[in-house]
Amino acid sequence: MTTAQPPARQTRQRRKITVAATDDLPPGARVEVQTGRAVIAVFNVDGEYYALFGRCPHQSAPLSRGRLQGTVICNAETCWETEWAFDGEILVCPGHGMEYHVKSGEAIGYDLKLRTYEVVVEEGQVILLL
Amino acid sequence: MATENQNVTVQRVEPSFNPVQDEDLDQYGRELQDCTIVDVDVHVDDTLMFMFDYMDGHYRKRMETVLQADFKGEPGNSLRNMIAHIAWLGSSYDKPPRAKLATKEDLLARMEKGIIDYSILFPSELLPIGYLPEPKWAAALATAYNQYMVDAYQNLDGVKIAIVVAPQHPQRAAEEIDLHAGHPDVVSVCIPDVGVNPPIGDEKYWPMFEAAARHDLPISFHGIEALIHDNYPLRVAHFHTLMQVNSMGFPFTSMLQIMSVVCAGIPVRFPNLKFAILEAGLTWMPFIMYRLDAAYLRYRTEMPALEKKPSDYIRDWYIGTHELEALPRRGDLVRLIDLYQGHDTTMWASDWPHLERDLIAGLMRYDMDDTLRRKILGENALRFFGLAPRK
Ligand code: FES
Repeated sequence: MTTAQPPARQTRQRRKITVAATDDLPPGARVEVQTGRAVIAVFNVDGEYYALFGRCPHQSAPLSRGRLQGTVICNAETCWETEWAFDGEILVCPGHGMEYHVKSGEAIGYDLKLRTYEVVVEEGQVILLL
Repeated sequence: MATENQNVTVQRVEPSFNPVQDEDLDQYGRELQDCTIVDVDVHVDDTLMFMFDYMDGHYRKRMETVLQADFKGEPGNSLRNMIAHIAWLGSSYDKPPRAKLATKEDLLARMEKGIIDYSILFPSELLPIGYLPEPKWAAALATAYNQYMVDAYQNLDGVKIAIVVAPQHPQRAAEEIDLHAGHPDVVSVCIPDVGVNPPIGDEKYWPMFEAAARHDLPISFHGIEALIHDNYPLRVAHFHTLMQVNSMGFPFTSMLQIMSVVCAGIPVRFPNLKFAILEAGLTWMPFIMYRLDAAYLRYRTEMPALEKKPSDYIRDWYIGTHELEALPRRGDLVRLIDLYQGHDTTMWASDWPHLERDLIAGLMRYDMDDTLRRKILGENALRFFGLAPRK
């Protein structure tokens, strides 16, 4: 699983949205950003910021309200034993429980990835780059 | 904290420890405001303790034991099966946390949003009574439930009730129907169809169908994620995960009971009876209709009472959308409904507030014309339950 990287080449001026002062978005906190029709969920996970498309593709529940927990995995690396993994990094949809890796937007157990957005900190402000 | 910049709204939110419930309605409130909406599968808290005051004699004593035993120890014998079932399900509901049971206040708050015109209340904890092995005990629970629901939920704006019957005691089931059918807030009789043995078309159940036909009370079959039949190899014990039980239990039960009712000629004998299937999804409907038609060519003489082929009866059955299967393309739902000829019989159902309830966005994401959307969201249900339009 990889963390989202910004696109290598940026062809247009990116829009900056001030989300919050860093003090207002401490570890564990989250905000929902609405801009036009787009809804984006921004999380502070242990001091790192992550932003994801804010609506679950299943039935559109607000992902900003999902719990962050771990999940179970079972693959060749675990010798096909079931193990608890990604503790604190799995966003659970508050609709029906689909799970997303908050750092990459990848849905666990689905061939599906949510759009992710870059977040930077400038002068004490958390900024979303669109 | 909410800041605005460049038409941007930033809203601080908290994680939800219950599944989201009504935000979806808020989201579509304006779009749906002139549209009749009937939620045909709604559940309120019907925990067994509410039944206690409605039980008499030794049944009351038995219920007292059950409640005191806190579902452990040695509760009233056959009820234990039911409780064990609930405990097992409860333990699997770990993500998201099991939806809390909705109180009357929760229901009223949802109705006060003014988006839903009618909510039809169905049993929740009482749904396993179809497979309790002791007919009189099952009937006593149904009687208590019905009286409790009528007392607690009558005369509420837009709230209607489906009474429940224990099919294993058809005579008592008929009496329950006779007792409640005339109540203006009772709009259907729910047959908890899971585990019913023999299947529901059997002649022993006909007094129940006769009573429903006598009062023109539509019948709703509502399953649970329990089992398909009480006999090997279809028992729940042979599935090792809840996903398997849930995926197969509802539709297999529904197909079994539809087949049983139609092949027994019940729609011919009681032509005014209306039937609905709830909580089983939709995708299996074309399968059972046209599979039976194929077999009918060869085996028609086994069911000489039928005047038309099976699918001609089944297409008149109403069906609730929940649990809406995750069809991949936006045009798929209409294609499916076309296949089972369900434009006038498909009814929106949420299963609120249960864990697996459907958000209204789940239906809205599929492409369909306005006429069909209106039929599904409310008009078909008005016809099925005999309700007056409110918009
Ligand atoms: S809305 Fe996210 S899992 Fe259903």
